[in-house]
Amino acid sequence: MEAALAAAETGTEAGAPDFELFVTERVDALLRFAYVLTGDTSLAEDAVQDALTTACARWGRVSRADDPEAYVKRMVVNAHISWWRRFRRREAPAAEPTRTAPPSVDGAAARADAEAVWALCSTLPDKQRAAVVLRFYEELSYAEIAGLLHCAEATARSHVHRALASLKDTLSKEGAEDA
Amino acid sequence: MPEHEPEQELGPKVADAFQTKADSARGFRSEGMARIARRRVRRRRQTLITAAAAVVVAVSIGGVWGAIGAPSPVSTSAGDSKAAAEGSGPLSDSPRAPSQDSGMACPQSHPIETAPGPEAVPPGTGLDVQLPVYGLQACRYRISPGDPMLLGSASFNADTAQQVVDAIKVLPERNPDLPVFKCAPSARAKEAIVLRFDTSRGQQEIWVAYDGCASVGFFTGSRTFGLYAAPLKLFMKGTVRPTGGIYLDHLKGW
Repeated sequence: MEAALAAAETGTEAGAPDFELFVTERVDALLRFAYVLTGDTSLAEDAVQDALTTACARWGRVSRADDPEAYVKRMVVNAHISWWRRFRRREAPAAEPTRTAPPSVDGAAARADAEAVWALCSTLPDKQRAAVVLRFYEELSYAEIAGLLHCAEATARSHVHRALASLKDTLSKEGAEDA
Repeated sequence: MPEHEPEQELGPKVADAFQTKADSARGFRSEGMARIARRRVRRRRQTLITAAAAVVVAVSIGGVWGAIGAPSPVSTSAGDSKAAAEGSGPLSDSPRAPSQDSGMACPQSHPIETAPGPEAVPPGTGLDVQLPVYGLQACRYRISPGDPMLLGSASFNADTAQQVVDAIKVLPERNPDLPVFKCAPSARAKEAIVLRFDTSRGQQEIWVAYDGCASVGFFTGSRTFGLYAAPLKLFMKGTVRPTGGIYLDHLKGW
């Protein structure tokens, strides 16, 4: 009876993966994705928790999807964007990404570039950052990104290209300063 | 194609940076997420069921009231004629008379205790600040998860109630003098106050958040007003007056 009630609560059907099992197996990947998306551990946890709550309520549908993890990641993106909208007035991003450590000389230029990319991403508007993460972390097509962000494909492409242009500008400035 | 050059040049760097950061991310609180999700879903469903039941009860009461009390718009019998002759009576559509004190106590349990945040005033219950108000009950609740309770209450007359509304409705959306905190999930508000106003449309509420880190101010569900001392000092009296709060500690004159 308890099991039947629990199944009814989450809409689980026979043969569908159990919600708890799904969370146990996928929560780390979801948290890492959310961390890249939000740039903050706490925000990542919040976004994943919100997404899992939504997924739990619709587990019957989510578990029948071809890729439940991708489905929940979409919910993470939506949760993050809505979170950001609620809180954007409280935390203004820095105007320019700044380097916090001097450039390394022992072949660590790649790490410095990675830090510069990360710093730049923290200054991007929410949808621009989400587009970049979906493009380069999730390796989605522009059509898929547009679907996730509820915008035109050209807009998704524009988000990514603007972010890259900004990144290129930042890296070239830092390269000139280091020289 | 020239437009793809930046992507080809920087795409691998970006992908590598993301992967590096994702792999090195540590310290997530991943325990119990399924349990929390299931509990939240259960609470949402309980809230929906409660709200639906309340609507059904209200509609039923309204229907019965209309059937036995309201005069028919068309005079079809002697009874109707008599009712018309007596005037509209107590069920007329005139505004409610101002009362000094509604006499209704704060409920022991309130939706704010289980709401996802102090800004989540249920639709239809928030105060329209343009309405005149005829009384106020201020109810202070502990909203810590698992241990919510009514901490204190106070009633105010129509004059004070209107002063509170007048002091709130002129406030900006945010008090820029208050500090901005970087929120952690653990920094939940421990308590909050519900202002329950008597209006011509029944009881309507403003939720007041002054603790925690997520949201702060006066919330009607459709509008947000920043946290300022002027309205607080009108109703933060007796058992409704908190000893402090994350934002109250930075506010003077309340």
